[in-house]
Amino acid sequence: MMRMFRSEWMKLRRTVIWALAVISPLLAGVTGFLSAGDYENGQEGVWQIALGIMGLLHAMLFLPLLTGVFAALLCRFEHTGGGWKQLLALPVSRSSVYAVKFIYIMLLLAITQLLFLAALLATGLLLGFAEPIPWRMLLVSALGGWLACLPLAALQLAVSVAWSSFAAPLAVNVIFTIPNILIINSAQYGPYYPWAQPLLAMVPRDEMGFGAFNLSPETLLGVILVSFVVFLLGGWGYFIRKAV
Amino acid sequence: MSKWIVETNQLTKKLGGKAVVSDVNLRIKEGDIYGFLGPNGAGKTTTIRMLLGLAKPTYGHVHIFGHELARKRIEILRKVGSLVEYPSFYGHLTAYDNLEAVRRLLDVPRSRIDQVLEVVRLTKEARRAVKGYSLGMKQRLGIATALLGQPQLLVLDEPTNGLDPAGILEIRELIKRMPQEHGVTILVSSHLLSEIDQMANRVGIITKGKMIFQDETQVLRQQARSRIQLAVSEPEEAWRMLLAHGYHVDWDRQQLTAELTDDKAVATMVAALVQHEFAVYRVQEESASLEQIFLNMTGGEGSL
Ligand SMILES: Nc1ncnc2c1ncn2[C@@H]1O[C@H](COP(=O)(O)OP(=O)(O)OP(=O)(O)O)[C@@H](O)[C@H]1O
Ligand SMILES: [Mg+2]
Repeated sequence: MMRMFRSEWMKLRRTVIWALAVISPLLAGVTGFLSAGDYENGQEGVWQIALGIMGLLHAMLFLPLLTGVFAALLCRFEHTGGGWKQLLALPVSRSSVYAVKFIYIMLLLAITQLLFLAALLATGLLLGFAEPIPWRMLLVSALGGWLACLPLAALQLAVSVAWSSFAAPLAVNVIFTIPNILIINSAQYGPYYPWAQPLLAMVPRDEMGFGAFNLSPETLLGVILVSFVVFLLGGWGYFIRKAV
Repeated sequence: MSKWIVETNQLTKKLGGKAVVSDVNLRIKEGDIYGFLGPNGAGKTTTIRMLLGLAKPTYGHVHIFGHELARKRIEILRKVGSLVEYPSFYGHLTAYDNLEAVRRLLDVPRSRIDQVLEVVRLTKEARRAVKGYSLGMKQRLGIATALLGQPQLLVLDEPTNGLDPAGILEIRELIKRMPQEHGVTILVSSHLLSEIDQMANRVGIITKGKMIFQDETQVLRQQARSRIQLAVSEPEEAWRMLLAHGYHVDWDRQQLTAELTDDKAVATMVAALVQHEFAVYRVQEESASLEQIFLNMTGGEGSL
């Protein structure tokens, strides 16, 4: 498993994939900074407002899109150069190949989340928020957003492995990400929609007391974990049988 | 343990309802250079993919090194190097880094990379991104990758594809050296009989998914020995007379052929014909080439 991890690292380092992890936090930082007028000095819950503003675009759009891009890029190396057949004819188990691909997606997303957190802190400090940093809330938000990507990452990895085209899984991902704007308003469907889960988990709930945001964190976490297990097992089951 | 390095039993693969590989019983013994021969679309690559566990047989079994592939896939693959269909590579990496990515999975010393690069003569180009390589260079890299883990069994699917004549010669010499120098057993596929003839000691011929010949290359060559064609007056009587005198001759109601090749035997046979007052019009040698045999066996659709 460790060897698999180090081999994968050889393929990944020096690729654009790292630059992608930076884009969304950078944009979020700019958004947060430009919205300086929204935070009145001394206002209570100013960090929470900033998180709401910066997290909206990041969690609603970029996080689900990036999850799909990371999954597609990690499979692209293998699809284009005939890598699957070389890799799977080596003494490696298919399960560990699949697991390592998945771990890399989550690792890249973790980097994205950390950078987002850094962008948020930088915004607050530069604008001189009077309130002390609410570490707990910020960490729960970043971690929640990351956990909420698990089902989507599992789903996108399955699709990217199955389709040898690079664009097709991405197109699917975009098509399903756009309706997020509507679906988050639905208490009924929102929590079950893998593309909406990052936003629901990340943005503070009392900030937006409507639609699916009223859900209890326990319910959301339950839905996320169950769908994650289902998608991961589905993709894994397909991959270990796949003829290459 | 069986004496075979590779043994398949009733190996069959159905794709889209059609048996692409059907009842193939491959037998490869230690130290063999086994030529796996067949026209395009015969099922060579499909068979090889099943040998490497890339595709599952519809039915039948694969045993390699005496172990069943389905049970001990990873242990078996540790000792197998392969190149399937066209070489695999990560285009954005250099040849060196491509080999390094594979080396990390195989757990062999780093010095192996330089060794295999040397073997396929890519040392000078090793630091260039592979996407800028010519087909032949990629093919060499593929062979280098197959050699990296110091395999005991080497499976090469059309390894000389895309190489120039010098490259073909070089790879052929390399393949021929391997069993003697490193005790490696090799399965090499091709649709060119002449190529297999020059390196393999055993041949399996497959066409339309079925194995139609499997034996020593020697046996195949014997079928190519020449025969003598005789054009005489009253060929049927001549045939009877020659048979009565103990010559091996054939009469198929059109042509009289004799299975002898040495000069003396031909001379005495012709003398016998003349003595019995047959008019001898022509005596000509008909030598069936290996290619002819291959074409006959594969139903004439084989490319050469
Ligand atoms: N996925 C598939 N679905 C249906 N038929 C397939 C599939 N893959 C291969 N075939 C068919 O299987 C047959 C054997 O193909 P294979 O690639 O094994 O031939 P080959 O002997 O390697 O030929 P070549 O010399 O051209 O490489 C072909 O007729 C091909 O059309
Ligand atoms: Mg082939």
